[in-house]
Amino acid sequence: MLKKLLKYDLKYMLKNMSVFYILTIFFALTTRLFFSLNQTIIIQVISQISVGIMYALIANTLINTLMRSWLRFRDSIYKDEAYLTHTLPVSKNNIYDSKFIQTLVFFIAGFMVIILALFIAYYTKERWQLLKEFINTITTGLDFKPVVFISGFLAVVFLELFNAIQCGFLGIILGHKKYQNKTAFSVLFGFVVYLVSQSLVLAMSYVVGLFNESIMNLFKFNYLVDTNAFKLLMILAIILYVVIIFITSIICKKELNKGVNVE
Amino acid sequence: MELLEIKDLTKSYDKKIALNNINIKIESGKIVGLLGQNGAGKTTLIKLINDLLTPDKGEILVNGKKVGIESKKIIAYLPEKTYLNKQMKVVEVLEYFKDFYDDFDLEKAKKLLLDLNLDINQKLSTMSKGMQEKVQLVLVMSRNADLYILDEPLGGVDPATRDYILDTILSNFKENASVIISTHLISDIERILDEIIFIKDGSVILQSDADSLRNKEHSSIDEIFRRMFKC
Amino acid sequence: MDFVFDNNIPIYIQLLEYLKIYLISGTFKAGDKLPSVREFANIFKVNPNTMQKALGELEDMKLIYTERTNGKYVTEDEELIKKLKDDYAITLAKSYFQGMKRIGLGKAESIKYLKELGD
Repeated sequence: MLKKLLKYDLKYMLKNMSVFYILTIFFALTTRLFFSLNQTIIIQVISQISVGIMYALIANTLINTLMRSWLRFRDSIYKDEAYLTHTLPVSKNNIYDSKFIQTLVFFIAGFMVIILALFIAYYTKERWQLLKEFINTITTGLDFKPVVFISGFLAVVFLELFNAIQCGFLGIILGHKKYQNKTAFSVLFGFVVYLVSQSLVLAMSYVVGLFNESIMNLFKFNYLVDTNAFKLLMILAIILYVVIIFITSIICKKELNKGVNVE
Repeated sequence: MELLEIKDLTKSYDKKIALNNINIKIESGKIVGLLGQNGAGKTTLIKLINDLLTPDKGEILVNGKKVGIESKKIIAYLPEKTYLNKQMKVVEVLEYFKDFYDDFDLEKAKKLLLDLNLDINQKLSTMSKGMQEKVQLVLVMSRNADLYILDEPLGGVDPATRDYILDTILSNFKENASVIISTHLISDIERILDEIIFIKDGSVILQSDADSLRNKEHSSIDEIFRRMFKC
Repeated sequence: MDFVFDNNIPIYIQLLEYLKIYLISGTFKAGDKLPSVREFANIFKVNPNTMQKALGELEDMKLIYTERTNGKYVTEDEELIKKLKDDYAITLAKSYFQGMKRIGLGKAESIKYLKELGD
């Protein structure tokens, strides 16, 4: 049944997001096109407009994915569409998992579109070389392979954002246990859950620090960050976020299974 | 075993009690009228049976099992709301129902929609509310369910549509299935009822066979209702 | 055709009345196969259970019978249907005389009215 739920959840998101993806890529192309033309004043103006729109669309891709994931979650579990969602012969876990995977998929898709757009708009051999060198300077100091550094960094950013989305889900679930001001409570609880999750990451890092000096040094401001600690911290952050995301999703499902109250 | 058994069910919103210690038994093969004024608790009861609300106390058993996946497989529910995703076309909604409900009769649904002159390629968002409600009725009545629960199916429609809806219900519900119809428009519907449940201020004040009640009181259910609910 | 029901009287009794008239008037003749309960329910637009109850009553009166797998049939006993017709006619006649009595007319006079109308 998860497959069937997912089919419709993905379809819905694709229907609503694809137009933004196409626009983002389109304006990345126009940006590149206008920059490659002879830069008369008019072309310059048009180029700048194109860049502006592209960045707006890039921001939109992120924000839209975020907001749409939350709103879609709320609508299909607590609003009118909930009348269908909760009367389908599927488990609450499946309903949650479907939303979780849908969000994950479209978050990754959004990331890819953004990277692709930037690549289209700005790629030249020289710039690529410059970027490589820039990363190399950072990573040689940190004893990292550039690829590992980049993917590690992206993974942390991605997990951090994804954690925020899921904290929003839990906030929505907790907020809708209230009988009034559900939206306000959802935002409030979401924020609280997010703070708690961040503090947990910090606390757990500290606990790890008790057993590892180089991590502990990060908590002491008078020490310079040593290269080993940075690497460890990145790995630690990834593990901790995965754990936190896992725990939060279990709490979400548990709360959902206690039952809902749809207006 | 009863098809539906409700034991000591209580539900309150915040501090307001919506249902107070309700007990109901419904067997297979009956058309049951859930009758009460607006705000009496009919919709609350129906939502509890359909897992849209969580009881404070008490139990709901469908075929002896608690509300869950198994009960949802055999209950076809028509809410008062229009609950379908408006971005979908009718044909997509049909596919959706076919996907999730093993007992959904796609051919029957198509035929009923055709009778209504509905274009299945139309998007729900371009249809009037009345049309959307008819689509929902068709979806629900095209299931071969054991229990149909219809919340105010006649509310706010013209007499011709009322007849159409009653006809659709009568000629499509599965043999030996039960139907629960909630309404406050009793005279329109009482001729098809086997049993009635009067619900007032969150309590069941009467559950009876319709004909024996008529015989006993020598009047229509509608009149008995008016008498019992006089303010 | 639309059937009108009085909500004050149990529906199955009113159905029974309709069915009896069908038998008496010959809409369904002796030995005819009857529609199924569900078909009947659709015709009258009533609950199949109520329809079943009315048909059950007819069956108790031996006016119809069920062949286990084939459905329901009108009795072959034409005498029985004739008796039903007689009974029904007598009931109608009685109620006519009662009505006339209420406005002070005796039997002989009442029959005179009937004859005039009959011509």
